[in-house]
Amino acid sequence: MPAWVKGDATDADTAIAAAAALLAAARAPVIAGLSAEVAAIRAAYDLAGRIGASVDTAGAAGTYAELGALSRAGALTTTPAETVGRADAVLVVGETPWRDPLLKRLAGTKPVRGRAAAADRTLLALGGAASGAALACPADQGLPQALALLRAHVRGHLAGASAVADLAARLAAGRYVALLYDPAELGAPGVEMLQGLAIDLNDATRAFALALSGPGQDRAVVPVSAWTTGQAPRVGFGRRVPEHDPWRFDAARQAESGEADAALWLASVPVAAPGWLARVPSVALLGEPAADAAQVVIQVGRPGRDLGGVLWHEARAALTYRPASGPADLPSAASVLARLGERLAASRSVPAC
Amino acid sequence: MLSVIRGGRVVDPTAGRDAVGDLWIEDGRVVAPPGREPDRVVDAAGCVVMAGGVEVHSHIAGGNVVTSRLLLPDLYVSEAAPEGHPFAHAGGAAAWIGATYARMGYTTAVEPAMPPTHALATQLELADIPLLDRGALTVMGNDDHLLQLLRERQGAAAVRDLVALNVATSRGLGVKCINAGGASAFKDGALKLSLDEEIPCYGLTTRAIMGALLDAVEEIGVPHPLHVHCNNLGLPGADDSFAATLDAAEGRRIHFAHAQFYAYGADEGGGFRSAAERIARCIADNPNATLDIGQVVFGQTVTVSLDILRQFAGRKGAKPKKWAINAGDAEGGGVVPFLYRPRGPTSSLQWAIGLEIMLLSTDPERTILTTDHPNGGPFTQYPRIIHLLMDREERAREIATLPAVVGERSGLPGIEREYTLSEIAQLTRSGPARLLGLTDRGHLRPGARADVAVYRDDPDRTAMFTAAKLVLKDGTPIVEDGEVVEWRAGRTLSLAVEADTGMARRTDAYLTDRFGAGLDSFAVPDAAFEGPAFEAVACRA
Repeated sequence: MPAWVKGDATDADTAIAAAAALLAAARAPVIAGLSAEVAAIRAAYDLAGRIGASVDTAGAAGTYAELGALSRAGALTTTPAETVGRADAVLVVGETPWRDPLLKRLAGTKPVRGRAAAADRTLLALGGAASGAALACPADQGLPQALALLRAHVRGHLAGASAVADLAARLAAGRYVALLYDPAELGAPGVEMLQGLAIDLNDATRAFALALSGPGQDRAVVPVSAWTTGQAPRVGFGRRVPEHDPWRFDAARQAESGEADAALWLASVPVAAPGWLARVPSVALLGEPAADAAQVVIQVGRPGRDLGGVLWHEARAALTYRPASGPADLPSAASVLARLGERLAASRSVPAC
Repeated sequence: MLSVIRGGRVVDPTAGRDAVGDLWIEDGRVVAPPGREPDRVVDAAGCVVMAGGVEVHSHIAGGNVVTSRLLLPDLYVSEAAPEGHPFAHAGGAAAWIGATYARMGYTTAVEPAMPPTHALATQLELADIPLLDRGALTVMGNDDHLLQLLRERQGAAAVRDLVALNVATSRGLGVKCINAGGASAFKDGALKLSLDEEIPCYGLTTRAIMGALLDAVEEIGVPHPLHVHCNNLGLPGADDSFAATLDAAEGRRIHFAHAQFYAYGADEGGGFRSAAERIARCIADNPNATLDIGQVVFGQTVTVSLDILRQFAGRKGAKPKKWAINAGDAEGGGVVPFLYRPRGPTSSLQWAIGLEIMLLSTDPERTILTTDHPNGGPFTQYPRIIHLLMDREERAREIATLPAVVGERSGLPGIEREYTLSEIAQLTRSGPARLLGLTDRGHLRPGARADVAVYRDDPDRTAMFTAAKLVLKDGTPIVEDGEVVEWRAGRTLSLAVEADTGMARRTDAYLTDRFGAGLDSFAVPDAAFEGPAFEAVACRA
């Protein structure tokens, strides 16, 4: 098991002992990243629950743009496969979705199911680099504002000839409309406005939001977190009660403010490590190791390559099992987290909760 | 180890048993008195001894349940963790669900709505519910692949093979259809659907889809009959949909989910009135039909359903005013928060109708207690509902606090019946176990799994059934004096069904074309779980 302490290669037991000592000395540890298979995500929550840590994810910016809008206003959503199969109009909001492989698939096919089957599919753009769009509207004042303007036209609050009015008319004429966006780019107010647009369109036709997944495995973390703690990912266990607080348990904020005094970064599925990780004593469990990524680095098996694991499948929009592609002599992140938990429980003077 | 639960009132309607006596247990099973000394004696004097409770319809896992937690972060309250499990007091979480059911003496619970597209996530969530044995029903009836087969009249064998493949792949315990064709119709602009209305783009009807599924379930030998969520849930006149659906079953086995929500006869003055008598008569006259109640209880809850047609229609009644609909692959899902207003006229009438159906039942074994958790209210209210069924004075006291509409539009106030403990055992133990085809539970005859609940006999039935004195799962004490004492894992019950390889190849090609990922990506392999998670249930011979 390749492992490093302060950049020097070492053996597994030494690294786990060093990681446990680092976490045991902390009063407010954070477990972050969670870019991992479901077994490791479960183990991370279990460890956080037992040592009183808080939890955050690699893709939290987009995840909380979604979750914030959901808990305030709700959502009307669809899936990539339903969009490919049914949508005769796709509004691409912002820049990021144009770089997503789904766009290519949407541009190269026609709907095959439902009342729009065999119709041409129209790509529409709001605020993006819109090569291939039948109609493009700029968003000079920002995406939330552009969406608000578009929504006002759809609702009939604004009228008159303009590109936005044309766009509103195109959407209203669609039989299955998909609104494609990147939540991290759009932000929570933008997502809420986009959901409002979908709700309004459904008074007369069918229209649904489709968010792209962000970095890491947040789409896997969200359900695991919800069924494990009853809450969304950013949960703290410092008071033995799972408390959900998107602001308080933002790991970057905790590290930068000095609240967090240790971190465990979990990325068995490789994802860029954040800058704040260098500011606190840290442990990293990595599928693609870098000896200097943290004070203690332990290489773990990468799911779908070194070991089997459940991961988010973008095209299926579901959790799916990915078997190992070949033999590998690496521990699973879940097993390393479990060993850490055992060591920490043994070192505590009070029983683990 | 040989144990005896001594001197309790043992209630097992399947054996005609309701008397003070002993219950012998060895190696996780109920045994006949063996004629030798026990290793352990549990004193049950003054207690009632029943089989562990069996839940047939409670939304305890899956995408909608996850969404409901995210839409309404404040619905449940979390408390400090107890010794032994970091999440058992996390309100609404999987561990809380297992612990709360177990404390009430339940030992098996079935999630009734598992879409095959999300089977793995649902099964992973179920496996994280501790203490109980679990199961899930595979939902079909809106998926394009099935509808294509039916549209192209490919025959009963093809439908049977596709259903068997879906159950086998998702590792379901049975099959459910939810407003068959309704989700598909919604995506094509429909706002309502009745049994014989044409579903856009397919030339099919709910009757045709449901009929095909009824046949497939019998052909495969699924022990649990097709679990049916009819059209027009919750609308005045829904009793007609219920009766028409029963007629359409043409004598085949059929289970009606949350019947209370269909017992709404259209009232001449507008709105609805109780059709409980009609529903109860329908079931009495059709020995192959069963129902669960979907009892309403007062207070804030959230409705979760794959019936997106119904959930979209109900969105404007959301309280608080937010909701989530997912037009997903096949069914999708809809989550709409709802307040059953305490002492409100509509909610009071709904409350009365559920109780009325149970109190008019001629066969409690075919009348299963559910709240359709969380749709009618949380399952935590079962003890209170049992109390109301067993105690007519308690019922009268509650009715006296409610608006007059309860007496004007339902027959509840005139009903004097009080359920016996045996009948409660039918409603919550033997009935649901028999309905699921689980012959090893729901009773206390020798050979039964030693899932046992011991309650202090207390006229306050709410208190009695809220916190059992002792609960055994497979002979092991898991609850003592209302608290969990052993955090053991149960198993997920899944049907042992063979899938046809030809249909598997065809389906793999279909799925690959549609999702860019084949049948493998729908699998629920053992390797995805931490330890042994599943237990096979045999098909009917």
